[in-house]
Amino acid sequence: MPFEILLGAWVATGLTLFIFTFLYQDNPLFKLAEHLYVGVSVGYAIVKTYDTVLIRLIYEPMVKQGDWSLLIPLGIGTLMLARYVPKAAWLSRIAFAFIVGVGSGLAIPRVISSYILKQVEDTVRPLASIVQGSPSFTYDLLNPASNLNAVVLLVGVVSVLFYFFFSIEHKGPVKVAAHTGILFLMVAFGAAFGYTVMARMSLLIGRLTDLIEYAEPRYGLASLWLLAVTVTLLAAWSLTQRGKAAPPADG
Amino acid sequence: MTFAERMLKIDRRIIFLVIGLCTLIPLLYPVGLAIKISPEVHGVYDYIESLPEGSVFLLSLDFDPASKPELYPQAVSLLRHAFKKNLRVIGMTLWLPGTGMANEVITRVADEAGKVSGKDYVFLGWSPGGGSVIINMGQDLYKAFPTDYNNQPTKDLMVLKDVKTLRDVAYVVSLAAGTSGIETWYVFGKDKYKFELGGGCTGVIAPGLYPLLRSGQINGLIGGLRGAAEYEVLIDQKGRAVAGMDAQSATHLAIIVLVILCNIFYFMLRKSQGRTGQQPG
Repeated sequence: MPFEILLGAWVATGLTLFIFTFLYQDNPLFKLAEHLYVGVSVGYAIVKTYDTVLIRLIYEPMVKQGDWSLLIPLGIGTLMLARYVPKAAWLSRIAFAFIVGVGSGLAIPRVISSYILKQVEDTVRPLASIVQGSPSFTYDLLNPASNLNAVVLLVGVVSVLFYFFFSIEHKGPVKVAAHTGILFLMVAFGAAFGYTVMARMSLLIGRLTDLIEYAEPRYGLASLWLLAVTVTLLAAWSLTQRGKAAPPADG
Repeated sequence: MTFAERMLKIDRRIIFLVIGLCTLIPLLYPVGLAIKISPEVHGVYDYIESLPEGSVFLLSLDFDPASKPELYPQAVSLLRHAFKKNLRVIGMTLWLPGTGMANEVITRVADEAGKVSGKDYVFLGWSPGGGSVIINMGQDLYKAFPTDYNNQPTKDLMVLKDVKTLRDVAYVVSLAAGTSGIETWYVFGKDKYKFELGGGCTGVIAPGLYPLLRSGQINGLIGGLRGAAEYEVLIDQKGRAVAGMDAQSATHLAIIVLVILCNIFYFMLRKSQGRTGQQPG
């Protein structure tokens, strides 16, 4: 097996186990892995940004292909750095104004079209269908396009809107509608929470799958050795902390 | 202290241990529970299956290593399917921290399928801007990515022959762990450049994407590790996701049991404290 893969397996296993020690309690092994993660992420981002933005998207097209029009966005972007010079800090507002202006111009119509209009269009569905000239109603709850689901959607949207309608007091029929809205919200929160639990468990499964793989002899039993080391270090640190936490003896 | 009180104040590390064991044991001794394919995963599979050989398939790996357990198996399955169908594959990412990993997965699966970089597939890498990159690609793909990840000029690549903008792409799938991701591809891409769009996502963001699926804004959605397992079954190449499904079911069962027990203990405590006139803490 290539050395870099073996080294990668040992480093990944060690850092995973160090992070897992947080489940016992906060400790220096966890802190070490956490700080390494932050440091490596930032370092990687800086290098990739330098290589992609400064070299490939600016330097090479300008110098090698003579595309000097890139000086305009480069100039606007450089104005951002003026924030570090108090007397010239106002110049950065030009760059910010450009970003906010272009960003809003691009995003607002698209977001309105994609989220509001398309979703409203999908919400307003016929409650009954016409099949061969006569009205029909489909009851299949598992089919999102069924008429029953169109009714559920209508009731859900209207009742949740009532719940968030604060201009009138929630009493009488409005209270009933608002309470129905709460039920729909609870179902939505439950679904979101269920998916979140599934996602978090998937992450655990992913790490454990790697640990099982790295426990194989071809990786030098990395998981087993590093588990022993981690447990020993954690136990040693725990013992030293116990000594520190003991109340001072009365003298 | 009553039994219910003791149970409600149990050391949470015992619960961690239970969940850990429920995950580890099925991974070591898999049972092979059945996996039912959902229509939303079928949507992505069917569309790729319907594409003629040589069609352009763009896979945007919009995630970082933190979401690897869920989205990496999805990427592997989609790439295997696309290479098996002899599609021209364009890989890219809108997430800077995921660049190296995205390159690794595409190269690995391509090597496995005997595909050649530049001829059968290309990894464009990352470009800053999120939505602006998509708009830029919609206007001129070569301007958005003058070179690929290996610094080869994109204009010279065989795989990109006659692919000038996003309008020339048959199908885009974004594997997303958040923003920028599927919604960005819809808002700035599909809505304007009219290509077909599918999605794969982490479990956390899946509920928020179902409205897009229902309205037809995306034609399929692979949700989390479960979705990846379904796709592995569909392409008949079972991998990590299928292997993790037993563990997923076991942990879910454990969590359901813990929630039920917790409620039982809570009501037991409330009942006993109601008798003595105390409020449960």
